[in-house]
Amino acid sequence: MNRREFMKCAALLVSGVGASQMVFSLSAEQRVYLAAAASYADRGIQFFSHEQRQLVVSLSEVIIPATDTPGAKEAGVSRFIELMVADWFNPQERTIFMDGLETLQRDTMAHHGMNFEDLAVDDQQALLEQLESAASDSPWYELGNVLRDFISDAPFICQLKELTVWGFFTSEVGAKQVLRYNPMPMSFDGDIPLKPEHSSWALSVTEF
Amino acid sequence: MKTTEFDAIVIGSGITGGWAAKELTEKGLKVLVLERGSDIRHGVDYLGEHAPDWKMPFQGKADRIRNAQEYPIQSQSYAFSEATRHFFNNDQANPYIRSDDKPFDWMRANVVGGRSLLWGRQVYRFSEQDFNANGQDQQGIPWPIGYKDIAPWYSYVEKFIGVSGEAEGLPELPDGEFLPPMEMFALEKTIKARLAQKAPEVTMTMGRAAILTKNHNGRGACHYCGPCHRGCSTGSYFSSQSSTLPAARKTGNLTLKANAVVERLVYDKKSGKVSDVLVIDSETRERHRYSARLFFMCASTIGSTQILLNSTCDTFPNGLANSSGALGHYLMDHAHGEVAIGAFLDDMDSYYHGNRPNGTYLPRFKNLPGKKQDKNFMRGYGFQGNVLRMDWRLNLNQKGFGVSLKDSLRKPGPWIWALTGFAECLPRKSNRVFLDKNKVDRFGIPQVAIEFEWSENEKAIWTDMANNGERLMKAAGAVFSLKTEKLEAVGGSAIHEMGTARMGSDPSQSVLNGHNQAHDVPNLFVTDGACMTSSSCVNPSLTYMALTARACDYAVAQLAAGKI
Repeated sequence: MNRREFMKCAALLVSGVGASQMVFSLSAEQRVYLAAAASYADRGIQFFSHEQRQLVVSLSEVIIPATDTPGAKEAGVSRFIELMVADWFNPQERTIFMDGLETLQRDTMAHHGMNFEDLAVDDQQALLEQLESAASDSPWYELGNVLRDFISDAPFICQLKELTVWGFFTSEVGAKQVLRYNPMPMSFDGDIPLKPEHSSWALSVTEF
Repeated sequence: MKTTEFDAIVIGSGITGGWAAKELTEKGLKVLVLERGSDIRHGVDYLGEHAPDWKMPFQGKADRIRNAQEYPIQSQSYAFSEATRHFFNNDQANPYIRSDDKPFDWMRANVVGGRSLLWGRQVYRFSEQDFNANGQDQQGIPWPIGYKDIAPWYSYVEKFIGVSGEAEGLPELPDGEFLPPMEMFALEKTIKARLAQKAPEVTMTMGRAAILTKNHNGRGACHYCGPCHRGCSTGSYFSSQSSTLPAARKTGNLTLKANAVVERLVYDKKSGKVSDVLVIDSETRERHRYSARLFFMCASTIGSTQILLNSTCDTFPNGLANSSGALGHYLMDHAHGEVAIGAFLDDMDSYYHGNRPNGTYLPRFKNLPGKKQDKNFMRGYGFQGNVLRMDWRLNLNQKGFGVSLKDSLRKPGPWIWALTGFAECLPRKSNRVFLDKNKVDRFGIPQVAIEFEWSENEKAIWTDMANNGERLMKAAGAVFSLKTEKLEAVGGSAIHEMGTARMGSDPSQSVLNGHNQAHDVPNLFVTDGACMTSSSCVNPSLTYMALTARACDYAVAQLAAGKI
């Protein structure tokens, strides 16, 4: 069992409680200090239409809304989703996602006579809950099924939720304003008080 | 191709190559270090250091297509990510032959500093019993040295590299020269107290790590950013890059050539010694020939053996220094994996500051000398314990939307304690590396093939390890635990591969003598993992370093005495 498999098991267990370049060298192009690089979300790729973009902004904000802390919209999660669909998804995943967007908007118009983004928040959330209910036998929901790259045939709602949650908590806004971010702790103390208002550290527990 | 002369040539710049470079240059030798990987610089080229998620490609999601095409083996490593990819070997560009039915995962770095940049930094001494075991239970051949031969060299290495840890006074885990240990989590203190009551035969100690808890030899104390393997510009963990190569450079006696792929060593029949090394520049494909009086093989277990196997001549048709036929055989790795994990609801209102890149260690407690012997298996195992607090990544597929989902995801979940077992692997002739002359790499060098299987002994150890792991979870107070029933790890995945050019007193059964010197070729030394006669169950890098320093001392004395 490697670390990723272990983490999968860890999640499972807790739920019970509750072509590329052939020759490697550091070319000038590769020599990018990641910490000083532009954010991933700043890449210039345009993939969605204006309407699709508006819809994704709205969907992500329903999943992770602004509260006393920023939500998905302020964190720019829709931008992450657009890039991942364009740049990271395989054709099968991309088709599921784009069909899902189109179907959702068409059905919303048919039943409510307006676009998803114009609905009241409660109605928006109810629509996503319906989608989740219909998808609930997908392996995506299996306990502990989290530390894998992606589930390629997962339904649209699962794709959307995963990209939104991932994009949000790995964004600068999510890491600094909702989680706690301290890249240079300088010391280790294994016993400090945890209060209900305290969030997790942003650094992945899977990375060290 | 012209010949350039040096006193000594060290092949490889990883954890042992760095030590050989330091020791030999400090003793006044003009040393050439050859590294097949690219020339990265300490600090300057740690491109992923301190990068936050939002700067990472795909915000930290794996680059699936590229990994599958170019890094199918390396991307299995826990240390592999977009922040460390540039340290790793490109599997597509540098392939080996991986057997389908006897698979072995060969993890490789491809930069100056080698895997010393990526290692787990855990350092434990082999015990007296570890050196005696082969001779006593007739597995493999006896070690030509004992604990007392290497003990001063362990101290010598520890003082230089800086090891944080706790002295325990256990013969099965000899103490060393320690900097202050890191702190335990509250949960670890809770568990330790419970184990002292319910499993008193088990010791739980802070991990002994080559990570500084205070400034040491010009390197800075750990700043607890977390992922060491991205590189550490403060040199807070030991690597060739942070420590031994700078020391070697300081002498003015070091020449380091990167992108230098060693094709073979040349044996001079008249003198009975290695005379030259043939090198191909991986960028320009130019060929170079370098000569020296002394040759140190530090190219990693499989890397060094591959070069020796390819260095054939009339005298050594089956590989250089291989009159015994042992070269390439007796490959070992630790049978390793997370055998038991448990969830804890203790210390829920306790959290932590800083990302401690170290865990706890539970040293071997089975089959110790003078104590009860298990009839089901020989040798033993140790556990590394790791604590972590659940977070959103482990819970992102929950149902629900909106305010409650957001609040649930932002908060820490229960604690997890995981026990990773490391079991000693017996040396077996059939576990081997060999060359496939029909398959060559991009330099025309025959590819190495690897065949590896676990023996019944490792499988039996695993069963005991899993059962005891589960018992310790319960004793520690886990509210829920799981164990991994069967040994399923692929050989090589512990990244503790060793053997294939073993030490021994008998030249008919071993490649190297008690000073890591080839029985057949007096100016040839192999001091990386290839030299190992048995594997113990503890992390081996410290032993490689101590053997390297010891071999350098011997080699230079022999050279001075005119015996080499």
